[in-house]
Amino acid sequence: MTASAALLAALLAAFSMAATTRAKSPAPAAQEQAATVVVKIDNFSFSPQVLTVAPGTKVTWVNNDDIPHTVVSTSDVFKSKALDTDDKFSFTFDKAGSYDYFCSIHPKMTGKVIVK
Amino acid sequence: MKGFLGTYASFTADLNLVLQLAMALALGAGAWLARKKRYRAHAICQSAMLLLNLPLIALVMWPSFDERVWPRIPQRIGKMHYAVATLHGFTGAMAELLGLYIVLVAGTNVVPAGLRIARWKVWMRLELALWWFVVATGLVTYFCWYVPKVRI
Repeated sequence: MTASAALLAALLAAFSMAATTRAKSPAPAAQEQAATVVVKIDNFSFSPQVLTVAPGTKVTWVNNDDIPHTVVSTSDVFKSKALDTDDKFSFTFDKAGSYDYFCSIHPKMTGKVIVK
Repeated sequence: MKGFLGTYASFTADLNLVLQLAMALALGAGAWLARKKRYRAHAICQSAMLLLNLPLIALVMWPSFDERVWPRIPQRIGKMHYAVATLHGFTGAMAELLGLYIVLVAGTNVVPAGLRIARWKVWMRLELALWWFVVATGLVTYFCWYVPKVRI
């Protein structure tokens, strides 16, 4: 086998493995239906900023930033304490609706959870 | 409520910052009045700034410190934003208390004779220097907590 043929075979094998792994990953729609969904806090933003989940879903916010943040509902439905780096806050959304929230330390940071 | 300085700070944090900088300038102007021997105006100016700072401490700075910083020390004191906020808080408390003491000694007879300061200039200059140091640490605290990508 020539060197170029060996290289081509290796590339094909790698592509095949990647495709298999990708096929095993759940689709975004399926992730939304999972019991727990994570919202990351990093670089002064919530990610995803808008999240759609099914009723009964537990949403967990994880602060990956090196600055403390909070997660506060604009309609007083939930409110976290100041979350330091790697701290978490969870809330289970039982009722359908739209829930706006923000960081009370940095009010420009906003997010929304849509439950339907 | 969102702030007005274009950072991630709240309205109250921005307002407090602007007022603190204005007060620092006013204290400098008050010191200039003393050099011009306008002692009455100097006393009014410095006392007013000192008293104006009390509600800002009570309503803005202490609640913020108590909620976000106090529960994390001493465990997280090694992190910059906690360290500088703690330094600002403790030196700020010292500056406010020393200022109140000077005002009480200079403007009232409440303090017993044995506890009264004699070298006015030294103590007042020390107070002004301490106050400006506190304002500087307050500025650093503001940038650490409210401005992304600025980690001093």
